[in-house]
Amino acid sequence: MAPAIETAALTRRFGEFTAVRDVALRVEPGQFYGFLGPNGAGKSTTIKMLTGLLAPSSGTIAILGQDLTANSPELKRQIGVVPEGLALFGRLTAREYLRFVGRMYGLDRDTTGRRTEELLDFMNLAGEDKKLVTDFSHGMQKKLALAAAVIHGPRVLFLDEPFEGVDAVAAGTLKAMLQRMTAHGVTIFLTSHVLEIVERLCTHIGIIHRGELVAQGSLEELRAGILKPAPPPRPGEAPLAFDAASQRTLEQVFLEIVGADRDGSAGTRAPEELSWLR
Amino acid sequence: MATLESRPEESQSGLPSHPQSALPRIPARTQLAGVAWLRWRIFLNSLRTRRAAGGGWGSLVLAIVLRLILWPVFALWVIGPVFASGYVAWTAIANHRPLWLVSLLAGIWFVWQFIAVGGSNFAASMPTFDPSSLLRFPIPFGRYLLLRCALGLLTPSTVIGCLALFAAAIGIAIADLRLAPMAVLAMGLFALMNIFLARMIGSWLERVLAMRRAREVFGGLFAIAVVSFQFLQLRRPRQPHTNWLFDTATRSAYRFGWLPPGYAADAVLHSGHIAAQLGNLLLLSAWAAAFLAGFAYRLHREYLGEHLSDAVANSPAAVRPKRRSSAETAAEPLTPPRMERPSVLSAMLRKEWLSIRSNTGQLVGLATPLIFVWLMGHGLFGRHPSYLLTAGVGYAILTPMAAVYNVFGPEGAGVQLYLLAPVRMRDVLLAKNIASALLLSAEAALAWIITVKSSSAPIPVLTQLAVLLWLIFVLAINLGLGTLRSIQSPRKFMPGQTRQMRSAPASRTSALLVLGLVSASMLVQIPVTRLSRSLHQPWLPIWVYAVLALAALAGYALMLANVDALVERNRDVLEHELCGV
Repeated sequence: MAPAIETAALTRRFGEFTAVRDVALRVEPGQFYGFLGPNGAGKSTTIKMLTGLLAPSSGTIAILGQDLTANSPELKRQIGVVPEGLALFGRLTAREYLRFVGRMYGLDRDTTGRRTEELLDFMNLAGEDKKLVTDFSHGMQKKLALAAAVIHGPRVLFLDEPFEGVDAVAAGTLKAMLQRMTAHGVTIFLTSHVLEIVERLCTHIGIIHRGELVAQGSLEELRAGILKPAPPPRPGEAPLAFDAASQRTLEQVFLEIVGADRDGSAGTRAPEELSWLR
Repeated sequence: MATLESRPEESQSGLPSHPQSALPRIPARTQLAGVAWLRWRIFLNSLRTRRAAGGGWGSLVLAIVLRLILWPVFALWVIGPVFASGYVAWTAIANHRPLWLVSLLAGIWFVWQFIAVGGSNFAASMPTFDPSSLLRFPIPFGRYLLLRCALGLLTPSTVIGCLALFAAAIGIAIADLRLAPMAVLAMGLFALMNIFLARMIGSWLERVLAMRRAREVFGGLFAIAVVSFQFLQLRRPRQPHTNWLFDTATRSAYRFGWLPPGYAADAVLHSGHIAAQLGNLLLLSAWAAAFLAGFAYRLHREYLGEHLSDAVANSPAAVRPKRRSSAETAAEPLTPPRMERPSVLSAMLRKEWLSIRSNTGQLVGLATPLIFVWLMGHGLFGRHPSYLLTAGVGYAILTPMAAVYNVFGPEGAGVQLYLLAPVRMRDVLLAKNIASALLLSAEAALAWIITVKSSSAPIPVLTQLAVLLWLIFVLAINLGLGTLRSIQSPRKFMPGQTRQMRSAPASRTSALLVLGLVSASMLVQIPVTRLSRSLHQPWLPIWVYAVLALAALAGYALMLANVDALVERNRDVLEHELCGV
């Protein structure tokens, strides 16, 4: 089966500045993939390219085995996105917004109406009939953006910081929903700065730093210190075993990879600095 | 939270959950109707949110009253050109003056495109959405192109242009009924060509204006174009009863033979020569197709994910400040430094100065009225030196005054700093008003010098003194009202973002208020001056303006004394409109 997401030498330049350089991602169908990196590493630029909102300077993107550039409208029907800026229409109500999104994805009226009601109920937004989206709290807007991203039943879901600003109860329910989706074969590509969330949800991790993919593999591989995917075992050879005792947390792995060459990053500075804050 | 009874991936109808083959095509009607419905709902919802956004019933009533007064004036701007267009077209056919028709169409062509380029602020203040946000949906390019052509058709340039061409077709039909079918066809095609051309220019401008420096250069060029048009008026001969501009246009009409206005006119004028008429229509269609292709090319780049902004490319490398030793930081006092009023004022003034200095567009905007003031001195007001100074100074401060009515707008969510910091809003607003007053005073001083220099007769000292008091009155009353509007009806302002809703510095209500106030205060001078002359009391204007200035200053001081409480009462409005809370 073709990978859900595959990129080769993906590069994006803005003038002299290279935001993403030669990124080679491979995400299999049904994987819950966490895409990590410090601020400004190139996560959102990569997601924009993977969802067709930003053209790569060079390299290729294949979604579900098809070239994204050549089959953009058809592939967009099979992906759902919660973008960085949410991109909601502020002067609509939540119901109006979901109805509009459903129609744009080609759902018939009955299906759109039914799914809208189900999603509003699921996201605890059903009681906000009169309120415009612009008057929603940030967490409510996040939930609405997530509802809009799944209303058409996408096969690949891109989530840029989906839990930021969402309350703990809602976050728990959303996580359960996302895990159920991966169990049904949906691929989820998620970015988050909360490493505990990524560690709990994701089966596979990619780490981008200064525009380059510096580590990629299963969570176990990364914890064991293997930064690139291990080759498949040869016939008759036992698969790679990981020593649970030697494994580190994702935070440790992340800080080792990203923090190693960050001069003066938080946590490595001398304690006497900013002493006036005491 | 409830659970999803039928999860999206398990649904029985609509899209198949995991299609292995190609999905059925989404009907064009579904998506186009969806966008039309979206536009309609946004319009309806904007009506019901006006009270909440405007900051109360007072604001709503003010907006309605101003519109009732000024809409008839706007209507005249539409009705005038439309009737003139119909009349000129009728005259061209009835009196056998073919060049008039070419001139008329050339005029409509130029004005249409000029308004389309310059009127983006008006369109931007309408409740709408960024059409490029539709790109995330599975829309084929053809449909996206169609939507981008259709969205925004109700802009002033399109409405006035289409009505003028419709009136021209009626004028031609009244003059010669046989020409009616071809007139309707040619004018319709000409309108379509104008729509495509405006779209093409807009899309390419957006490409160019994505760079801040290019925006500033364009602003300067546009200002020069406007001023150049005024120079044409200056150069006109002084003979009475001649329409110099129209005569010039008619004389140069033959130049438009190979351009769209020439083909549209020829299609009508070559009556009885079907081949020639169709040939002209074909050439007009070729122009329309070329403009559509230019628009489509730019749109296709956007469709493929072109990134226009130069913000990322120009991200400066972070400069790490020199670290202090632990001995240095240990010597720092533990208690926070006491915030003193002068430090707040000076910090705010410095911030305002940095904002003004970095905004080249605003500086260009300040220079443009001064050129008009110079022209006024050589034009109509040159013959009335007693009114010249008020008119010149009033005109110069009119445009920059609008910014006083939305002082928090450019800062957007940054207003939260003022609300959270241990500073009095009175100090913040006082500093902003001082900065505005200095800027407006500098503008007024320059206009003053230009006016005095360009006046055909010396302006008496008493008149100048009266104008000085008038200026104090106008500044004080506008700063007072502007501060109130800034608190009660704030509006996020994003300069340079023509596709967004927030590219106008103040709301339309505020802009109309400034226009009304400054114009009315300028007109007050006429009865005061006449009364002074009839009573032989040259000091009368000075007393009148002194009283007005004192009253305005007292009103301003009163407003300033209560401004903290006012901000507190409107905290929700400020946070809602500027911070999106």
